[in-house]
Amino acid sequence: MFRKVLIANRGEIAVRIIRACHDLGIRTVAVYSDVDRNSLHVKLADEAFCIGPAPAAESYLNIPNIMATAELLGVDAIHPGYGFLAENPHLPEICADVKIAFIGPSPDAIRKMGDKSEARALMAKAGVPVIPGSAGPVDGEREILQVAQHVGFPLMLKASAGGGGRGMRVVHTRDDLRTGLLVAQREAEAAFGDGRLYIEKYVQEPRHVEVQVLADAHGGIVHLGARDCSVQRRHQKLIEESPPPLLRERTLATLTRAAVRAAQSIHYTSAGTVEFLVDKGENVYFMEMNTRIQVEHPVTEMVTGLDLVKEQIRIAAGERLDFSQRDVAWHGHALECRINAEDPRADFRPSAGTIVTFFPPGGPGIRVDTHGYAGYTIPPHYDSLIAKVIAWGQEREEAILRMRRALTEFEITGIATTIPFHLRVLDNGFFRRGEVYTNFVQRRIDLSDV
Amino acid sequence: MDSNKIDWEQVREVLRIAGEAADVAELTVETPTLKVSVKKTAAGLEMRTSANPHGDRVGAGVAPAAGALPAAGALPAAGAVGLATGAGAAELALPDQMKAVTAPMVGTFYRSPSPDAPPFVTEGDRVDAGQTVCIIEAMKLFNEIQSEVRGRVARVLVENGTPVEYGQPLLLIDPLA
Repeated sequence: MFRKVLIANRGEIAVRIIRACHDLGIRTVAVYSDVDRNSLHVKLADEAFCIGPAPAAESYLNIPNIMATAELLGVDAIHPGYGFLAENPHLPEICADVKIAFIGPSPDAIRKMGDKSEARALMAKAGVPVIPGSAGPVDGEREILQVAQHVGFPLMLKASAGGGGRGMRVVHTRDDLRTGLLVAQREAEAAFGDGRLYIEKYVQEPRHVEVQVLADAHGGIVHLGARDCSVQRRHQKLIEESPPPLLRERTLATLTRAAVRAAQSIHYTSAGTVEFLVDKGENVYFMEMNTRIQVEHPVTEMVTGLDLVKEQIRIAAGERLDFSQRDVAWHGHALECRINAEDPRADFRPSAGTIVTFFPPGGPGIRVDTHGYAGYTIPPHYDSLIAKVIAWGQEREEAILRMRRALTEFEITGIATTIPFHLRVLDNGFFRRGEVYTNFVQRRIDLSDV
Repeated sequence: MDSNKIDWEQVREVLRIAGEAADVAELTVETPTLKVSVKKTAAGLEMRTSANPHGDRVGAGVAPAAGALPAAGALPAAGAVGLATGAGAAELALPDQMKAVTAPMVGTFYRSPSPDAPPFVTEGDRVDAGQTVCIIEAMKLFNEIQSEVRGRVARVLVENGTPVEYGQPLLLIDPLA
C-alpha cells in the first residue's frame, strides 16, 4: 500500500481523497495555488506545497510543478480527482516515467474515451448501442448532409474533444445547418483547441442515466448500479440520484451490461462511469465514458455502502477487488444536490466572496461533502461548487424529505447559493413522481420567483 | 545542522493561525528553539522571531510570510519588521523596499551552477537586473533564476539543496545599496 499520496486537485474532492487516504493510513500531500492557501484541503493534508499562482493553467494544470512536488516530497502515488488533469493522458504517462503510481486508468483508456467520436466508434464495434449518427468526425457540409439524411432532424453537433456537457449544439432544420456548423466548429476550436465535430441524432427529452463501474488490474470488474442525472441546467448536473426512478428492471440490466462491456473493451481499470441517454421508449444509447471518479460518486456510495475512493487507491496499489458482482447489494435510495456558490435569481451568476456563517445539516441519512467553512473566501478562479448534500432514505420519498429538511437547515451566509433552486425542484410534482428528463429545469422550473 | 536555523514551517504555521483568527490581535508562540510573536496592525502583520541565543539576522517577517499575510506580496505591508536576536539584543528593522527574488516554479534550490562551482552570488555582492542569482532544478531540468532589480544581495533565505514552493522567497535584494 502507498505511504504517501499527492492529491492533484482542490476543493471538496481534494478533501474527499485526503479522507480516504487517512482512512487507509496513508500520508497526504496537498498542492495549492497561492489563492488557495487557506483552503480546507491544505489544512487537512499532512504536507502542503504551493505550486503556482491562481490561474489553473499555472497551478492545478501545471504538470511540471506538480510532478516536481511529487518527486521532492517522495510521493508514491498521485490522485487527480475530477476535472483539471483527471483525464489528461500525459499525467499518467509522466507518472509511469518517474515510477509514481497514478490512481486512475491507463493513458490509453483515457485517450480512447477522451476523443468522444472515437469512443462512439469503439462502443459501436463492441456491440454497445450508440445514438445513431456519424461514424467519426465529419468533414464538410456535404458529409454532414448525408449523415443528416439518415439520422434526421433535429440533430446534435458535438465536439470530438468536448464532453462534460460542453461543445454541443442542436440543429433543428436543414436551413440552420450551415450556420450551426460554422459556429460549432469555431466554438470547439476555441474551447478545446480542436474544431472537429461529430453528429448524433437529437434524442428528445432523454433521461441521463449513468452506470458506475469499478475494475481492478487483474480482470476483476463490477458495476455498482446506475444514477439518474437528468436534473441539469445548461448541461451541468444539479441533482443526481440512485437508483434511477421509474426505470424498468430490464432497462437497468441492459445499461449495466453495456457499461461493463464498454469498460472491458478498453481494458479499463479503476473507477469509471459510462453515460447513456434513455429515451421515452426506454431505448438505451451510449453517450460517453468518464474515466475518473465523478462529482456524484457519493450517491452510489450511500446505496452500496462502498468507499469508491478507497477502492481506487487499493486498485492502483495492485490489489484485487475483494468482492464480486454477486456481493454487491443495493439498499435504499440516495439523492445528491450540488450546492454552487451562484445566485439562482441572477441567472446563476457566480457568487465569489467570503462565507460568513456556515452551518451544514446533519442527522440520519445526511452526508455533506464540502470544503466550505465560516470565514473561507471563495476564490473566483475555479468552479463554483461549494458543497454536496447527499440524502439517503429507505425509499425515494424518505430521501427527498430528508434532503428537503437538510437544505432548509443548511445555513450559508455571505454568498449566494443554489439552495433555493434545489428546494424548488424537490417540491415540484413531476420531480416527486420521478418524471425527470434533461430539459426538466427549462420546462418545469420557473426561476423568476426563486 | 545549523542550530541557528529557524524552522520556517513553524513560523508559517504561526502566521497562518494568527492571520486567520479574526479575534486574535497578538499571538506569541515559544518553543525551546524558536519564539514567534505576531501582532496585527492596521497595516498588516508585524512579526518578531528569534531562534536560539545566537539568533540570525533573518528577513524573518519577509521570508515565509509571502502570501500568508493579509497584505499581498512578498513583503509585509508598510511598517518595520522587528527582529529579536537573542536575549536583550537590539532590534533590527528591515527597510520596506527590500525586493525578494521568489521561486517561479517548484523545485530544488541551488546556489551554484554545479556542485563544485562557487555560488552565483553571496551576501554583500552587487547584482544587476537580469543577473542569474540561483538555480531551481525540477525533473532534471535546471532553470536559472534572475534578479529583477539592481542592488546588493542582503540575504540568502534558503539553504542550498532544499525544496522550494512556488512563490517562496529565495533571496533578498536591497535595491538602494
